[in-house]
Amino acid sequence: MKKTSFWVILICVIAALSALALLWQHHQAKADAVIANVYQDGELVRSIDLNQLTEPETFTVTGPAGENEITAEPGRICVSHASCPDQVCVNMGWRSDGGFPIVCLPNKLVIEIESAADENPIDGVVG
Amino acid sequence: MKKITTKQLTTMAMLTAIALAIHVAEAQIPAPVPIPGVKLGLANIVTVYAVFTIGAGPALMILVARILLGSLFAGQAMSLLYSLAGGLLCFVVMLLLKKILTRNQIWVASVIGAIFHNIGQILVAIVVTGTPAIVSYLPVLLLSGIAAGLFTGFAAQTFIHRMDKKS
Repeated sequence: MKKTSFWVILICVIAALSALALLWQHHQAKADAVIANVYQDGELVRSIDLNQLTEPETFTVTGPAGENEITAEPGRICVSHASCPDQVCVNMGWRSDGGFPIVCLPNKLVIEIESAADENPIDGVVG
Repeated sequence: MKKITTKQLTTMAMLTAIALAIHVAEAQIPAPVPIPGVKLGLANIVTVYAVFTIGAGPALMILVARILLGSLFAGQAMSLLYSLAGGLLCFVVMLLLKKILTRNQIWVASVIGAIFHNIGQILVAIVVTGTPAIVSYLPVLLLSGIAAGLFTGFAAQTFIHRMDKKS
């Protein structure tokens, strides 16, 4: 029985660490992040400053499994159409902060919103 | 390798068919959250059962057959790679855990297996897309994986105990 409690504790610790990491990510996402980087197969294909946009912009990225149509608007970005059957990336909806990247695995497409805090690490220093 | 008896072959074929049916049925359920990789993984019940009752070799064959056929019926070519990486890593970990777990701790193998399944998936996703930022999905996947692993683990353990009583 002693052994079972060991496993229970181990699993709880992993779950707690995941939850903490999740909270931390959520906290990070609050940072003033505005630059969306679009990667295809690990290469940066587009980098858009979402706050510099004045009107919606649509472009298409082609990968091994088809096309993703990406729409960027002032302050947010999403995949508006995808030629794949499962539409996971489209269902992920609009992104306006650095929480999670939008990922289309079949097309090796990743849209990541850069955290402005990364560029200015001494932002938080007081005094 | 030992020669496979007709009984073993029949058992393996039946378990593969059950796992495949679960796999395909689950693929029809829309994902609860729009995060790639989050799923219940009900077919893992069969893998856990096979690992703990009929042994490593047959369990591996059932797993690989289910993933290959499952991707063919219900997925895309790319999902095969993720399922295979996650499935194999999960299988190896469960096999190691089998040696140290009692009959009432079978669910632990399922949970730890699920965790390694997620790690395997993420690693392949990072390699395939070449984008290390995908690692930020790991906490969500781990939490959902632990929950799903608990469910499938207890389901498999209950099933194994019932089958023990029958025979």
